Formats: sequence, C-alpha cells, structure tokens
Amino acid sequence: MRRIVSHIGLIFFSAVVLLPILWVLRTSLVPEHLSYSSQILPELTLDNYVALFTTKHFGNNYLNSILVAVGSVIVAMPLACTTGYAFARFRTSGRAGRFSVLATQMLPPVALALPTFMFYRTVGLTNSLPGLMLVYAALNLPFLTWILMGFFESVPSDLEGAAMTDGATAWGAFWRIVLPVAAPGIAAAAVLGFILSWNEFLFALILGGPRTATVPVALASLQTSNGVEIAKVSAGVSLAILPLMIASRFIQRYLVQGLSFGSVK
Amino acid sequence: MASIRLQTVSKAYGSDLYGVKDVDLTIEDGEFICFLGPSGCGKSTTLRMIAGLEDVTDGAIWIGDKDMTRAAPRDRNVAVVFQSYALYPHMSVRQNMEFGLKMRGVSLAQRNDRIDTVSEILGLGPYLDRKPAALSGGQRQRVALGRAMVREPDVFLMDEPLSNLDAKLRAEMRLELIKLHRRLGRTTIFVTHDQVEAMTMGDRICIMRDGHLVQVGKPLEVYANPVDTFVAQFLASPAMNLLDARLEKGLQDEEVVATALGHFPLSADQVSAYDAARGRKLLLGLRPEDIHEADAPGRVAFKAEIVAVEALGTENIVVFNVAGQEFTARLGRHFIPAIGSTVPLYGDPRQMHLFDAETTRAYPRPSSGPVSNKED
Ligand SMILES: Nc1ncnc2c1ncn2[C@@H]1O[C@H](COP(=O)(O)OP(=O)(O)OP(=O)(O)O)[C@@H](O)[C@H]1O
Ligand SMILES: [Mg+2]
Repeated sequence: MRRIVSHIGLIFFSAVVLLPILWVLRTSLVPEHLSYSSQILPELTLDNYVALFTTKHFGNNYLNSILVAVGSVIVAMPLACTTGYAFARFRTSGRAGRFSVLATQMLPPVALALPTFMFYRTVGLTNSLPGLMLVYAALNLPFLTWILMGFFESVPSDLEGAAMTDGATAWGAFWRIVLPVAAPGIAAAAVLGFILSWNEFLFALILGGPRTATVPVALASLQTSNGVEIAKVSAGVSLAILPLMIASRFIQRYLVQGLSFGSVK
Repeated sequence: MASIRLQTVSKAYGSDLYGVKDVDLTIEDGEFICFLGPSGCGKSTTLRMIAGLEDVTDGAIWIGDKDMTRAAPRDRNVAVVFQSYALYPHMSVRQNMEFGLKMRGVSLAQRNDRIDTVSEILGLGPYLDRKPAALSGGQRQRVALGRAMVREPDVFLMDEPLSNLDAKLRAEMRLELIKLHRRLGRTTIFVTHDQVEAMTMGDRICIMRDGHLVQVGKPLEVYANPVDTFVAQFLASPAMNLLDARLEKGLQDEEVVATALGHFPLSADQVSAYDAARGRKLLLGLRPEDIHEADAPGRVAFKAEIVAVEALGTENIVVFNVAGQEFTARLGRHFIPAIGSTVPLYGDPRQMHLFDAETTRAYPRPSSGPVSNKED
C-alpha cells in the first residue's frame, strides 16, 4: 500500500517534470500551423527540423556549441584537477583559501560579463570561438575545482605514500595512481563542465556575434519581433536537450561507482 | 643493506601537540625490530617519518650512512606495508606488485620471477588477476605484504601487517616473515599491537607511549626488566599484577616487602639491589605466571577467593580476590578451582618486580634475574 502511494507520488512529480519536455518534443514534430492546437499528434513531420537547418544555420550553431563546450572542458579540466588536488592534499591556504575558490561563483554573472566584454574587445577576442572557450573555462573552473577537491579528498592519501615509496615522484603518484583512481569523479566533473558550457547564454550573447552564436543564442533569436517561431524553437530545444540526456546517463554511471573501493581495509 | 638511526626525532602537529617526541634509536643493519605500544602512541607516525611520508619536525633520520631526513621517499629504498593496505584499486594483484618494480626499472623476466616467488609464499597465485575489490581483508593484507616483498628493499617498514588475518594464517605468516627475514636479512621495523608477535619475532622490541620511546631491548630482557609499570603491564597478557607495597622488617628482623598478599621475603642480593626503595611507597609487580597452585620452598602463601576462571586448554587464567583487590594468575590446566571457593595460592618472591609508586619507575632487579639472551 505504501509503495503504491509513493509510486503515485513519484509518477506525479515525474509527470510535472516530463510533460512540458514531451510537449516540446510533440510541438517540434507537428506542422507549424498546428503548434498551438490541443490535439496530441495530429500529423507527424520533420519540416520544423529541416527549416531550422536550412533557413536558420542551426547546424553552425550546434557545431559552435559542441566546439565551445568541449574546448572549454579541455582547457578547464587539467587546471581544475591540479588545483583541486592541491587544495585537497596540501593545507596551504586553510579554510578561507578553499572557500575563496567559490567566491567568484557568488557574483551575478552580469557583473563579470561587462568587464569581460570590455577586456575582450581590447584584446580582440570578441566574436571568436576560442574567446568563448576561454571564458567558459574560466567561469567553470572554480566549480569544477570544488567538485574535484571532494573527489581527491576521498582518495586515501596512503595510496600516494605507497606509490612514492614504490619509486614514483609526487607527480608520478598523482599521474599514475590518483588520477586513474579518481577517474570516475573526473569524468563526472568533465560532463558537468560540458553541460554548464552547453547551457550558457549570457556570455555567448554578449561576447559572441552571428558567426559564433551557440544553440542558446540561436534559440533566443527565434523569438523575433514577429512573434515566437514556436515550432522551430521546439525543434531546436529538442536537439539541445539531446546531449544533456546522454551526458546525464554518463554522470549517473560514474557517480555510482565508488572511487577507491578495495584499496583499504 | 642499511642501518637506521633516529636522532631526537619529533613530529609536532601544531605548536604544542606532539605525535612523536625526541625519539632516539639505532637499528642495526639486518635487525628485526618490533614497535609495540597502545593505539595513538606514535608508531605509525615514526614509521612514516622513516619512510619519508611525513615531515620530520625536529631531529634527523639516517638510513645507512646517509642523512635522509629530507630525502624523497623514493630515494630511501624502503618498502612500506601500510596499516590501511593502500592497494592500488585500479590495478590487479599482479600489477600492484609489479608497479614498484617497473618504477625502478626491473626487467620483465626478473619481475615475473619475483612475483612468482612471492605469490607462492603468500598463496596469492589464484588471485593474481583480480582487483583488490574482489579480495577478502586477509587476502588484501597479503597482497600488501607481497607488494613490499617483491621490491627487496633495504628496509621493510611494516605497519601491523598481520592484524587482519585469522589466528592460523597469522601464525603461518609470522613464521614466513621470520624466514623471509632470515633469507633476505633486510632491516625490518614491524609495528604491532600484539605482544606475542613482539616477543617472538623481534631481535629487539621498542615500546612506545604517548609519542615517547619508553624502553628498547631484547624481548626477554624487557620482559625480565621492565623499566616502569607501563611496560610491565603492557608487554604481557594477562598483565602483571601490581599491589601497594613497602619495605619493612619482618618477625626475625629480616627485610620483607609487605603487601596485601603477605610478606615477600628478600634474598640477600635483592636487599642490596632495593636499597634505594627503603621508606618509599612502592608497587610490587608479580606476573600471573609467577603465581602457582603448588607450594615450594620460599613461596608466599595467601588465601585467594576465586572470581573467574578462563580455561584455555593449555592453561587456566584465574582471577581471584584478596583483601578486596583482584589479581590474575596463570595456572596449570588441571587446576580448575570452583568460582566462589577459597583456595591457597603461592607467589614466587624471587620473580617479583618493585616499582616506585610515585614515579612508576622500576628499581633495577638484582642481576641474577632470569635473563636469557637470544643471541649472545
Ligand atoms: N594530522 C594530525 N593532526 C593531529 N594529530 C595527529 C595527526 N595525525 C596523527 N596525530 C596524532 O598523533 C598520534 C600518533 O598517531 P599514530 O598514527 O602514529 O599512532 P599509532 O601508534 O600508529 O596508533 P595505532 O596503533 O592506532 O595505529 C596520535 O595521538 C594521533 O592522534
Ligand atoms: Mg598506526
């Protein structure tokens, strides 16, 4: 009986979360003039997707997003790993130091966006993909560092002791033992970094231009003065969700694995 | 091959908090030394400082003829068996053992050779391709030992390497480790909680308390001449009985130690040895094995009210009460008194120890004490 009640509850909340997404998917698959009708699936068509790619350069936007998100992860992860490890192992700057890692996250993004824009304009990085990658790497770095710090702390430090007496340098112990052991956590952090960059809108809008527009920017531009092109927006959103769904599966898989299981008593 | 010398080595955590304080110790090349002490006394910390895994706050550590105080762990050629095992979880048992050999550039043929030998000794053959997660606690502990053994280092540092094995395996491994030590002759520091391990394995034992080195010596020497009540009680199980005592004149004006168990007469050499104890508040120490169920010339008789009997098969550990204080005796296996009954028991005054009640330090026993040295 209790199980039934709890299942009903779960089904209800799942529905609250899922139905809007499913409705978006539905809207993307019916012809534009039926977008607002209340029929569930009157006609099926891929026209909205085709239009998105032919009339709106959505392919470019999608590619931009992938490049920028992947690029920012590639730039941020090595820095986040080493910084997170340093904070986890060497109590150099105390609690205040660790907490200051997150301090930049406390500012509203806008407060950072405008100075960044001025700076980028001076050095000529506006309207470029590398510029966006860099800024995303910088934005995500504190958060990724914070997460990785937690993962590295859960790796028993005796493992490095063992590696170092076995003949490894401190760096060797980090590279050959700590990183592989923390790999699930690192992968999870990388996926999180990807998602953060993938969803980012404000900086992409301010620092970018038509050539560098990412998916969120492109979707926003579909809300024109002639109204919202809801069918195309729905198609775009459906496509934008796709990598997130894949990514969240990954995160789940990595996070349920214990990090150091079997190394200690 | 290497001796180890610790010169007033200290480890401080914070300004006034010491994990290890002023430890002075020289360990000979090829010696097997046991560190024994209660939990938190600094055994692991000392070991880790020797391995280079913990900064030394003060003092110096020499390995061989080199000052290694600030050397990196990998330059010390020591192998550590960690209390926590610290197996590499992403590597198989074979890879765990191979790692240190690879790092030191040992050839493939030699690597396989050593791994085969060691896994044979430790019975790890069937598990070589398993990850540590798929092993039992005892198996993991053996892998940790194996990883150190294949290295054939100058120095073995073992932190309670047998603590997680069952009694039989533990006895076997004890022998294996002693054999290994005979064969390789490597300097070995062996940390343990277990008095039996400490007594039987080490050339010397080194007893620690609260970060200090309390006593170092050959096992039987320490057993015969504990420097204070702590060592006396710690080094054996069941622990030595301690009772309030005082030097007095007996009925015939002879010297006796007056205690709740009666008057313990002093022999001539004991009288001169304990001269300094006159007039002090004392503690008399009598080991459970020096209390007997049978009388013999010179033994002191007392009436014991039996409180508990632990029949171990080979012997009986008997707890008894005299004048409101509880004592323990280790008696023959055929002597099983009824609980609650009162029986005569006999203490052996020649085996007694005398401690100062205030300082807890021992008064040195007359040299004729039952010391038998292992090697010389
Ligand atoms: N990081 C630390 N900060 C403060 N005190 C510490 C720290 N690490 C260890 N200590 C203290 O140092 C002392 C010695 O610890 P150590 O691990 O050497 O004990 P041990 O003799 O190995 O004990 P056990 O038999 O339980 O393993 C302990 O009292 C411990 O609380
Ligand atoms: Mg310890």
